[in-house]
Amino acid sequence: MNNTSQSILKTILLTPIVVLGNISESRRWAYYLIFPSLLMISLVVIYPVLNGIGLSFQEKQLTRPNRDGYVGFDHYVELFTDDDEFWVALKNTGIWVIAGTLSQFTLGLCTALALNKSGHMTKIVGVLVLLPWVMPSVVAANIWALLLDSRLGVINDILVNMGLLTDYLAWFANKETAMASALIVELWRGFPFFTLLLLAGLQGIPEDYYEAASVDGASRWDKFWFITIPMLRAVIIASVILRVISLINSPDILLILTGGGPGDTTQVLSLYAFQTAYLDFDFGYAGALSVVMFAILMIFTVLYIRASGGVTEE
Amino acid sequence: MISNQKTVDRIVEVIRWTFLTFVLIFALFPIIWTFLTSFKIELDIVTSDLQYLPERITFDNYVAIWTRSGFPTLIQNSVATTLMTLVICLVLGSLAAYGFSRYQFRGRYSLLLFYLVLRMFPVVLMIIPLFILMKNLGLLNSSFGLALAYTTFLLPICTWMMKGFFDAIPPELEDAARIDGCTRLGALFRIILPLARSGLVATGVFIGIAAWNDYLFALMLTTGVDSRTWPVGLALMVGEFQLPWGALSAGGIISIIPVMILFGLVQQTLVRGITAGAVKG
Amino acid sequence: MLKNKISRRQFLQLSALASAGLTIGSRLSPALAQELSGTINYIHHFTSESEFIGMESVIASFQAANPGVEIVQENIPNADFMSKFTAFVIGDARPDTTMVSSERVTDMVAMDGLVDLTDLINDWELKDVSSDLVWEGVTVDGKIYGVPAFAFIPWMYYRKDWFEEAGIDPPETLEDFTNAAIALTDPEQGRYGFGLRGGDGGHGLIMEVMSSFGVNFVEDGEIVADRDTMIEAIGWYSSLVTEHGAVPPSVTGDSYRQIMEGFKTGQTAMVWHHTGSLAEISEALDPDQFGTIARPMGPMGYPGYIGFLYNGIMKNDNLDASWAWISHWGTPEPAIEFLDATGYFPANSLLSDDERVTDNPLYGAAFDALAAGELEPQFVGASGWTRNVVLPEFQKVLIGDATVEEAVDAMLEGLEDAIE
Repeated sequence: MNNTSQSILKTILLTPIVVLGNISESRRWAYYLIFPSLLMISLVVIYPVLNGIGLSFQEKQLTRPNRDGYVGFDHYVELFTDDDEFWVALKNTGIWVIAGTLSQFTLGLCTALALNKSGHMTKIVGVLVLLPWVMPSVVAANIWALLLDSRLGVINDILVNMGLLTDYLAWFANKETAMASALIVELWRGFPFFTLLLLAGLQGIPEDYYEAASVDGASRWDKFWFITIPMLRAVIIASVILRVISLINSPDILLILTGGGPGDTTQVLSLYAFQTAYLDFDFGYAGALSVVMFAILMIFTVLYIRASGGVTEE
Repeated sequence: MISNQKTVDRIVEVIRWTFLTFVLIFALFPIIWTFLTSFKIELDIVTSDLQYLPERITFDNYVAIWTRSGFPTLIQNSVATTLMTLVICLVLGSLAAYGFSRYQFRGRYSLLLFYLVLRMFPVVLMIIPLFILMKNLGLLNSSFGLALAYTTFLLPICTWMMKGFFDAIPPELEDAARIDGCTRLGALFRIILPLARSGLVATGVFIGIAAWNDYLFALMLTTGVDSRTWPVGLALMVGEFQLPWGALSAGGIISIIPVMILFGLVQQTLVRGITAGAVKG
Repeated sequence: MLKNKISRRQFLQLSALASAGLTIGSRLSPALAQELSGTINYIHHFTSESEFIGMESVIASFQAANPGVEIVQENIPNADFMSKFTAFVIGDARPDTTMVSSERVTDMVAMDGLVDLTDLINDWELKDVSSDLVWEGVTVDGKIYGVPAFAFIPWMYYRKDWFEEAGIDPPETLEDFTNAAIALTDPEQGRYGFGLRGGDGGHGLIMEVMSSFGVNFVEDGEIVADRDTMIEAIGWYSSLVTEHGAVPPSVTGDSYRQIMEGFKTGQTAMVWHHTGSLAEISEALDPDQFGTIARPMGPMGYPGYIGFLYNGIMKNDNLDASWAWISHWGTPEPAIEFLDATGYFPANSLLSDDERVTDNPLYGAAFDALAAGELEPQFVGASGWTRNVVLPEFQKVLIGDATVEEAVDAMLEGLEDAIE
C-alpha cells in the first residue's frame, strides 16, 4: 500500500473515534451518555407499565368481556375497604420483606467481610458461596421442598438423628413454621447477592485509608464504622433497594413452596396479584394491586434514600 | 504489645474461618444433596428408607435431560440470549451510569429514580403488554426479542449498580488524564473502565445469571425450539402427574456448570481489578 | 344430581358400534387428505416423558396420512397454561388448535378463545362413539367447542395388604370410609388412613365431597348452594384431620406429588385420584400391595367428577386442516398409543373392549366410577373460586384458623363475588 492509501485508511478508521472524542468534549456529553439507555427503556418498559397502570382504572375481566369499561378508582376503593385478603397479604409482605432483607443483608455483609482477604482458599470459598444465587428459583424452590419434605426430607432425617426433633416436620404445612421456612430458603438464595456486591465494593476501598487510620490509633470497629460503611454507602443503598424490589414483586419461591398457604399465612401481595390475574382473569383488579405494590416500593425507596443521606454528591 | 496483636489476629482468623465454614455448609449442602440425588434412581428417592449416598448409581437422569426436548439446542439459545442481554445492558447501562456518576445536571436525581421506578412495576402485569409489544415488533420467539425483554428489568439494575462502582473512583483521575491531553471519552476508556473492572464483572455476573435463569419471560415470549431457553425445557420435564426428582436434580446440576466455569474465568479478572489499583499511586 | 350417567352395558354397546364404524374411515379419503396443506400450531400441556412419546407418535401418524400439513406443537406446563393462553388471546397471536380440559372450557369460551365447532361435529361420523356426558363437558350454551380425546375417571387407591392385615373390607360408604381410615391409622408406625390432598390442586376433591352430599352450586347464574349441606360436607371432610387425626400432619401442604409419595412409601392406606396416575403407582407398588376401587358413596351421590380432555380450534384460518388434526385424536391410533404410553383412558368407547383395558382388573373400578360419576360444575369463575377461595378457606379449618361455619360463609361470599 502506498502512503496516500495508508493515510486514507488511518483517517477512516480514526475518524469515528476522533469524532466521538470531540463529542465527549461537548457540554452535552452527559446527555449523550444517558440517552441510549433512556431510549431503550422508553421503548420496552414504558408501554407495558403505562398499560398496567391504565388497567387498574378499568374493569377488565377476561371471562366477562361485556363488562369492560372505565371504572375510575372503584378497584382501589374495593381494595382498601372491602378486601380482607389484601390486608393479610400486606402484613405478610411486610414480614417477608423486612425479615428477608435484614437477614440476607446481614449474612451477606458478614460473608463479604470474611472473604475480603487475599488467599487461594478464600478465592475458592468465594466462588462456592455464590452458588445458591446461581440456581434458578424454580429449581432451588423444588430442591428445598425436597430437603424439608415431611416424608423424604433429609434435613428432617438429620434433625431426628441429632435428637432435635421426634418426628419429621411438615415445615411448609404448619402455620407456625411456613413463613420462617420460606424465609430460610430466601436467605439461602439471596445472601450471595449481597456478598457479591458488597465484596466488590469492599475491594474498591483503598488500603491506605485503613493504614492511615491505624496510624491514628483507630480500632477495628472504628475502621469498620467510619471507613468501610461510608465507602460502601452507594453499593449498600443500591443492593438493598434492588433486593426489596425483588422480594416484593416476585412470587416465585412462595408459589412453589406454599402457594400462599396454609390458609393465608404466607399469602403475599405478589402472589395475590398473580392469582387474581391468571386464575380469576381479573386484570383490572390485578392492575390495582400491582399499582399499590408499585406505590409501596416508590415510597420506600424515596424514604430510604433520604434516610441514608442521598445518592448524589452534596 | 506485638504478641497481643498477633494473638488477636489469630483469634480473628479462627473466627473468620469458622464462620466461613458454617456459611459454606449452609450454601453448599442443598447443592451437594442435589448432586447426590441426581445419581439415584427414582425408587431410591421416593422411599421411606432415606438414602444418603446412592446405593445404586445411575446416569439415566442426565441422559434423560440431555436427550429429551433437545437440551443442547436449549442451552445454545440460552447462551445467545444471555450474551445479547449482557452486551445491551452493560454497554448502555455503564455509559448511563458514568453520566449519572460524574455529571450534575438538573433533574439528575429524578431521572435516576425514574430508572429505578420503572423496574419496580410488578412483572405479573407487564408480561401481557410485553407480549403484545413483541408481537407487533415481530420479535416473538426470537433470542433478540427475549434479550430486549430482559433489558426491561436488567438495564435499570445495571445502571444503578455501575453508578455505585463509578462513584467509588475519585474524579481526580479523569481530571489528571484530561490535563494530560485526553478527551473525556479517552479518559473513560483508558482510566476509568479498567478501574471499574471488578464492578463491571460483578454487574455482568449478576445480569448474566438473571438472564440465564429466567423462566417466566422465556415461557411467555418464546414458542418453539428456535429460541426456547433451558429453564423452560427443564420445567417441561415436570409433568402434571410426575415430578421426577432425579431428572430435576440432574437439571439443576447441569444449570450450575456453565456458571461455575464462568466464575472460574472471571475470578482472575476480579483479582486483577484490585491489584491494578494504581489508584493509590 | 346424577344425570347423564351411562351404564356399562351402554358403554360396551357403543364400542361395538364404533368397531364396526372403524372401517368406515374416520380419516378423510385420500383425495381430500392431499388437499390439506399448511402449518397447524397446537398448544397443549402434555409434559412428561411418557405423554411426550405418545404425542410424538400421534403427530407422526397424522402427518403420514396428511403429508401436506405440518404440525408445530408447543408444550406449556399445566400450571402456566392459562397464563399463556390468555396472552395469546389478548395479544391476538392465537395458535390454530389447543388442548381443552373440561375444567377450563367455560373460561376459555368466556374470553372468546375457542371457535364454535357444533356444525363440524354434528357432521362427524364418530360423534356417537362418545356418550352424551362427554359432549356435555365441552358444550357451553348449547354449542360444542372440542373433540374428546381422553377421560380421567376418579377412583381410589388403597393398600390391599393393610386391609387384609386389619381384617376389614374396602369401604363402600363414606361412613365406612371414616371407620376404615381411623382403623388403619397408627402414628407409632408412621401410618395414616387417608392421604387427604389439602395442598395445591386439592380444591377439586373438596368440591367432589360437597357434591356427594348433594350440594349444587350455580344454576342459571344464581347461587343455589345450601349452606347447611355445605357445612355438613366440609365438616365431615375436615373431621378426618381435625377430629380423627387419620391424615398425615403435612396435609395442608400435600398436593399431587405428596399424596402419591405418601401412598408409595407406605405412609397412607387410601388416596383419591384418577386413572391418569395408575402407571406411576404401578411402578412403585406390587399388585398384591395395592388395588383400585370406586370411591365410597356419599349421602347423595358419588364423590368424583369425570375429567375429560378435548382438543379445540382457536381461529378460523385453515379450518379444514385444523379440524383434521383435532378429529384425528378421536380415532383409534392416538388412543392406543396413549393407552400404551400413559394408561390414559380414551374419552370414547373405541377401546373399552380392548383387552388391555378389559383384562386389567384395576380398570374395573374405573367402569364402576364411570357409571356413577358426573362432570365438575362448569360456571364462569369456577376455576378461580375453587382455587383462590374454597381451598384456602378449607385449609384454615384444618389449621384451626376458622370454624367450619366461618369457612363455609367465606366460601359463599367468595362465590357471590365470583359470579356477580
